[in-house]
Amino acid sequence: MRNIVFALALAFAGCGDGGGSSGPGPGPGPAKDGPKAITIWWAQWAPADGLQELGRDFEKETGIKVTVHQTPWPDYQNQVNLEFGNRETKFDIVIGDSQWIGRGASKGLYIELTDWLKGAVDMSTVHPRAAKYLCEYPPGSGRYWAAPCETDAIGIAYRRDWFEDAKEKAAYKEKYKRDLAPPATYEEMRDIAEFFTRPADKRYGVSWLTGRGYDALTMGFEQVLYAFGGSWGDEKTFKVQGHINNDGAVAGLEYLKSMMKFSTPDGAKLDYGQCLEPFDNGSTAMLVNYFAFYPEISKKFGDKAGFCPMPKKGDRRFASLGGQGMSISAKAPKERQELARQFIKWFEQLKIQKEWIKKPAGFPANTDILKSEEFRKASPYNAAFADSVDILVDFWNVPVFGELLAPVQQYVGEAMDGKRSAKDALDAIATEHEEIFRKARENGDLPK
Amino acid sequence: MLKYGFVGPALLLLIALNIFPLGYNIWLSFTNYDLSGGDVKSVGTRNYREVFNEPRYAAAIRTTALFVAAAVLIELVLGYALALALRGEFLGKGFVLTVLLVPMMLSPAVMGLFWHLIFKGDYGIFNQTLGAAGLPEPQWLTDPGLKLAACVIVDVWMWTPFMMLISLAALNSIPRHIYEAAEIDRAGAWTVFRRITLPLSAPLLLLAVLLRTTDALKQFDYVMVLTGPNDAATQTLSALLYQTSFGSFRVGLGTAYGFVVLVAVIAVATLFTRYLDRLQRSR
Repeated sequence: MRNIVFALALAFAGCGDGGGSSGPGPGPGPAKDGPKAITIWWAQWAPADGLQELGRDFEKETGIKVTVHQTPWPDYQNQVNLEFGNRETKFDIVIGDSQWIGRGASKGLYIELTDWLKGAVDMSTVHPRAAKYLCEYPPGSGRYWAAPCETDAIGIAYRRDWFEDAKEKAAYKEKYKRDLAPPATYEEMRDIAEFFTRPADKRYGVSWLTGRGYDALTMGFEQVLYAFGGSWGDEKTFKVQGHINNDGAVAGLEYLKSMMKFSTPDGAKLDYGQCLEPFDNGSTAMLVNYFAFYPEISKKFGDKAGFCPMPKKGDRRFASLGGQGMSISAKAPKERQELARQFIKWFEQLKIQKEWIKKPAGFPANTDILKSEEFRKASPYNAAFADSVDILVDFWNVPVFGELLAPVQQYVGEAMDGKRSAKDALDAIATEHEEIFRKARENGDLPK
Repeated sequence: MLKYGFVGPALLLLIALNIFPLGYNIWLSFTNYDLSGGDVKSVGTRNYREVFNEPRYAAAIRTTALFVAAAVLIELVLGYALALALRGEFLGKGFVLTVLLVPMMLSPAVMGLFWHLIFKGDYGIFNQTLGAAGLPEPQWLTDPGLKLAACVIVDVWMWTPFMMLISLAALNSIPRHIYEAAEIDRAGAWTVFRRITLPLSAPLLLLAVLLRTTDALKQFDYVMVLTGPNDAATQTLSALLYQTSFGSFRVGLGTAYGFVVLVAVIAVATLFTRYLDRLQRSR
């Protein structure tokens, strides 16, 4: 007995402090400085800074103070979900990832905006893909739980100076019998990456999103999956077998794995920030990441950087969707929910959207703006982004998306590391996803 | 009554900070508690059935066991060797000891971040040093065979000083007259070590092993920082618990994992303490 008590004490002593690691604080509560104020939570990146600047304009017009609280990406999901566990959230608006919307809708965390949004925003001007993935749940149902805020897509940044170098062009033409140009197909992308891979000179062909935390690898793989003929599954029946693991999907994963030969030595494990480093330090010819990260690239490299959408496989071209919509917390006080609605309505006005696009990485979902020459020419990456919005695809946004994401990150990662074949990895994902959907159906977590 | 007065506040703190959370977690492990709150329903033993049927759980046990065995064994051997080397008096002993203890003082999460840079494939100093010596430059953080080794290296670097400290205390506690008697009997160095040094320092060494084992069993910091919590090659029990609770939002299931881990740690600790007890009684 004495030993067990001593052992218990040791175990609890060990529970005290294993690492001294502490997550970020929950951030400021609702702004209480004036009589009217709202708090918005978003991830820590350039668009959030832009939103805060617009928030100050809103305050000047309406007297309602807006505070945009930013949390680093790796902690953002955890912080938001932990906050939703409280009786009242510190935020009034949460700009949540597109995958969160099913959970937010079905767990009563977000307020339904369907009737209100149609009156506040002309939904016909919202790009249908942005509306489907950022605002709607279930997909195609016409029920809205978020207003579009930031639309984003994965695209390619490339070293235009390298591509336009006369010697490089001549050498490429001699080897591959075609002109060196931004890749239009995945085959061309592979050739270009191979051409620029010179490890002795510490030069590499491509830096791809392959991070194992959260969803970076899933997003990096997703557009290849769809372009090669696979998909996550049937959105209506949630059938996965034969979609995620068909021949096209296997070929896509094998392609992505083969591209790692042309990346940095740790290229199979690059998270959002890490993926930028090889391009940022001038060693890599092409970068595959979200457009929201490209303002900094453009600022640093100027004319030396070019931008293009993801390439095609045959006639199939897709880009992983990024971006977030503005959702109103169901756990915010009613009066602040009303103020939140006012802010969202103000933000969605065309004149404000035209201001939004002037902010770094302020990407809209408004089709008029996306099509305009003014937008396309406003920055070196805008045209490529605008072209990418038409080809957006997204991961499952059902309530169990977190459980669905884990096996993708794990098994695709194992395939990338050479621990499993592409076919085994995708078969394993299919099996687990079907089991997760079966349980979710039993628990009533899937849309009917 | 006075004795209860002295012990009372500490006992109350223990109950508030340990007993109550333990009870609450046990209750949660029988529910479908979601990270974002919502309706909480009892699910009986479903979570525990999932724990024991989940292949990832078995894999996490194997990974954790491998990590603990490798890390603690290497720390023990290296720490003891360092203690043997440093037990005598020499100029600058205080400074050397202080420098050796520095890794132990630092935050594991911060060390994990530093080592992440050190292990970087292309510009990490580890591989640059290996490359300069003409040795192969392995990919510590992407090669599935090496990721766990990378975590072990970081743990050994951080906690060998702890083993060294305990070993030094153990060695210094051996009475000098025993060595003098051995010298008189003309015992050789190996005999002295085998018959005197090692057996007499064993109880404290075992205590150090027990403390490091219980700590290593809950390894999370390096795994989180070096490879992420969802990497099969390094997913320890704590990382799996984190992934379940915060990645899949299933806090009920996560607490079931946590409780099973706690029982395992208590079992290991009980075995150790019983052995230690027996060792003490036999002396």
